[in-house]
Amino acid sequence: MLSENAMDALSELFNVGLHRAAASLSSITGQPIVVDRPKLVICEVSDIERPLAELVGGEIATVHQIFGGAVAGDAVLLIEHEKAAALARLMTGGEAAAGGRLDQSGREVLVEIGNIVLGACLSGFGDMLKVPVSLSVPRIHIDSLRTILASLVGDGEVAQFAVIVSTRFRLSQLAVDGYMIIAVGAKSLNLISTTLGVG
Amino acid sequence: MHLAEAVAEIGSLLDAGVVIVDADAIVTHWNDWLVRATGIQRADVVGRRLCSCGVALNTTAMVAVDQAIQGSVVVLSHAFHGWFLDARPAAGFDRYERMQQSARLLPLRDEGTAAGAAIFIEDVTERVAREADLRTAVGLARAAEAGKSQFFAGMSHELRTPIGAIAGYADLMEAGMFGPVTEEQRERLRRITGVAQHLEHIVNDILSFARVDAGREEVELVDTDAVVLAQEAIAAVEPLAVQKGLKLASRYAAPVMPMRTDAVKVRQILINLLGNAVKFTAKGSVELEVARTGDGRSLSFSVLDTGPGIAPADLGAIFDPFVRGTPRNASRPGTGLGLAVSRGFARLLGGDVAATSELAIGSRFTATIPA
Repeated sequence: MLSENAMDALSELFNVGLHRAAASLSSITGQPIVVDRPKLVICEVSDIERPLAELVGGEIATVHQIFGGAVAGDAVLLIEHEKAAALARLMTGGEAAAGGRLDQSGREVLVEIGNIVLGACLSGFGDMLKVPVSLSVPRIHIDSLRTILASLVGDGEVAQFAVIVSTRFRLSQLAVDGYMIIAVGAKSLNLISTTLGVG
Repeated sequence: MHLAEAVAEIGSLLDAGVVIVDADAIVTHWNDWLVRATGIQRADVVGRRLCSCGVALNTTAMVAVDQAIQGSVVVLSHAFHGWFLDARPAAGFDRYERMQQSARLLPLRDEGTAAGAAIFIEDVTERVAREADLRTAVGLARAAEAGKSQFFAGMSHELRTPIGAIAGYADLMEAGMFGPVTEEQRERLRRITGVAQHLEHIVNDILSFARVDAGREEVELVDTDAVVLAQEAIAAVEPLAVQKGLKLASRYAAPVMPMRTDAVKVRQILINLLGNAVKFTAKGSVELEVARTGDGRSLSFSVLDTGPGIAPADLGAIFDPFVRGTPRNASRPGTGLGLAVSRGFARLLGGDVAATSELAIGSRFTATIPA
């Protein structure tokens, strides 16, 4: 779908976006938050469940934003529910006790985290293409992976391709695996590939 | 109708503060909710820049307004920022200096160009207070729980030393270390030793329970044989079974049943289950069956007795600490901790203990432990 060079360039785009997001989160929380260099996989949306099921299980908390502009699609931040609850608690000065669920305040915190992370990464597309990318209001869902994947939308009626971005958020006492799915149609993927100049 | 007017119209229907600013951050809409919450009239803010119209904004809020005007969706959660603009909390929430708020800022575009931002502010004070109360209650409950476990552990340690001294001195006296002992005195000394051993057993139960309850019990996995563990447990309860005239039997699905587990804990579970069965069975038999579970991943140790059985109403609570079934059991020795400790150990090892029973027929306790 994308050449090796294009994948490297795309990976760097997300790397920069994630580091911008980490800097914003560190500033908000007053504690150092770092992210690992992301790993990328591109696949057809119809094949997305298997690789993701190897990474996450059980109940998943997601923040979901539809984006539009020259590149359009659906962006989702996924974190296992219990880990999302621990992340939200730690970022707001609580303890990362095992287990637990996101309460209403925790959900709001996760929405803000998702908005920052997705916004920072997707604005990279806008900068690259030199066109604005607009995002919808972020929404949070807590559901199974299958239900969440069934709701993905692309720039047409149904997304055809998905970029799976894996990273790890590290705080002083906790490392939480987080994943992004950027689901786009063939038109948007072609535009990304062409703009990266090496597709 | 312009987009900003449409948003303002929709905003008037919401139980939220709605501010609309144009591309220069000049307020074009300030809804009734905000008039009530801040006491600032619409005429005092509309037509003026939001950051210089007398409304006290959180520093983050000012940055967020600029970001939204430039095209970003911004979410400000209460947990990170506390408040967006200065407003009084509702009556009854005086513990907060300001109304606690979460906000969402949406960019407005008119034919592709930045036209301002719509800001939606939600009063979350009541919810924040409720969540804080809940966290406090949970914290207190956890502290009380930890205090209870620490008390048990401390008390048990304090008791063990004098109990050891009582048993030790009784042994020495019985052995004639402090002068000649008559047969009658020897019999009384044996009783002292017996009671001291019983007390030590109870204290050990309390210590085990306190460690499991506090999550401080550690697991030491070793390669062992379920048949050997079962035989050792049988040997430990055999004297009491013989004394009561009970038949003590065992059945193994294979002569050798290897497992990797914490042998000390499994042996203790079996001794507790067999000890209970022998203790509560007046006549008949106590039997231990060891088998592999259907999926082959665990071993099941079932203790069957011909005791009085447990009433269905009591069956659900027998694994709770200090619960000992019907009042008629109150006269039997023990703390009511044996089953709680056994289930705690089993769960620590990834298994469980379950019970079925029929009044006047007998009971079956099954410990399932991963192999």
